[in-house]
Amino acid sequence: MAGGPDTRALPTAWIAMDSGVNIQDALDALETYKKKDASKVVVRFKAVGNAPIMKQNLYKITASNRFQAVIQFLRKELGWKAGDPLFTYINLAFAPAPDDTVSNLYKSFATEGHLIVNYSTTAAWG
Amino acid sequence: MSTYGARPSPSAFSTPASTTLFRRLTWEGTVPLEIRVDPKELPANSDRGLECYYIQAPRVSYLPLLVPEIKKFLMDVVFDEAAARVVKEEEWWFESEEGNLLKWHWPLGLIYDSHTIAASIRPTTSSSSLQSVPLRLVLHLVSPPTEKLLLSPSAEACKQAFMGQMKEADFIRWGNTKRMTGLRKAEQDGLWEGIKEHNFDEYWRVASKVTPTTTPARSQSPPLPSSTSLHTRPPSADPQTGNGGPDRDGAYNVRNIPVRIYLPDGPVIQDVVPPLLDDGSPNSLHDFLSKNLSKLFPASPSEPPFHELAYPIIQGVEIPGDAEMAWLGACMAGADGWVNVCIGIIRDHGSRL
Repeated sequence: MAGGPDTRALPTAWIAMDSGVNIQDALDALETYKKKDASKVVVRFKAVGNAPIMKQNLYKITASNRFQAVIQFLRKELGWKAGDPLFTYINLAFAPAPDDTVSNLYKSFATEGHLIVNYSTTAAWG
Repeated sequence: MSTYGARPSPSAFSTPASTTLFRRLTWEGTVPLEIRVDPKELPANSDRGLECYYIQAPRVSYLPLLVPEIKKFLMDVVFDEAAARVVKEEEWWFESEEGNLLKWHWPLGLIYDSHTIAASIRPTTSSSSLQSVPLRLVLHLVSPPTEKLLLSPSAEACKQAFMGQMKEADFIRWGNTKRMTGLRKAEQDGLWEGIKEHNFDEYWRVASKVTPTTTPARSQSPPLPSSTSLHTRPPSADPQTGNGGPDRDGAYNVRNIPVRIYLPDGPVIQDVVPPLLDDGSPNSLHDFLSKNLSKLFPASPSEPPFHELAYPIIQGVEIPGDAEMAWLGACMAGADGWVNVCIGIIRDHGSRL
């Protein structure tokens, strides 16, 4: 791979001379971005309205989990049956997409080191 | 599309002509789809020559919004009466030709672009043939994998997910959702109706109240307005939203821009994306990509891998690295307020997409 002194940030259409090597490098890079984030973040559950309060409301959750997994965990902790209504929000403001990862939500919305997840039995800020 | 005045009020009709133009182009973008019923699930006595439905669908629309017209086609042309009676659209779901589940709550443009970039890493695809071919979708009529689809397939569930995304985008921009929650119910519904009816004016009549403006001054002088204050202001700090200045809704005064990066076959990366860098200069697409994906987009040619190994597409268009994130957020976000940056891998000299 040429990294000579006259290599400049040319428009990409001009570069990629050795495309075979190029693709492999790119695929290797993609693999590193695919690695699951094994770190854990602290999620704080807060009840809203008539929802039951949890005695233990701070949990460490693996960052690569999807928000859907957080919802399922919460349902289990509350002893909710399938079909029981449960609405979840971040920062009393919005319901994230269920396929958002905890990691992404934490990076964007953490407050004082916690990702605050509000839960309610009725639609609140939906 | 009435006036192109330069008044500062936040209206789609008083923004600079170029802003309205790009919003219009984004809105009018379409993707070609070929929808084929899974042959194994086609009811008996169906007309097998005709089980494909072709549509040029708006990028800002969603699969649940296509279901009524697909259903009508199948009822009218493909199924016989007995089959039409038992078809339950609540059980429908879509897969790509390669067997990837298609999510109800992803905009069609994102589904299309994520398929394009996934194809960029497949050894067998000839990249030149991709552009002309419609995206082939398989429609299943039974046994939806509910757990993986995450949402029920109704238009109502899709609307709720869309509203959630609008509010999340609002929160990212301004640190609260006051602009969204300040809308009347009829206005919120108008956003969704605008998408459903593919009506630009109906959508932007409301969306202009929550989307940042691009200030007219900027189109004449590329360096930022009031450059003196920029150097003293960290980009993540609360921009002076309370001072009532004319630019408080400006694209360069948001806290962050709602952006997600989509890599081929995943993952999706979201990070805080301020409009300005620490030195006060605009955060460009190149800055953003080299911060988050330095192995594909090196910050400078002296760092490995020495040149770019990938390219970014937004709304189906390859975007130059010097595009500013704030501008992209104001002009090329999807209808849900998010800028979706799809990353494709460069395969050979200049032939991509």
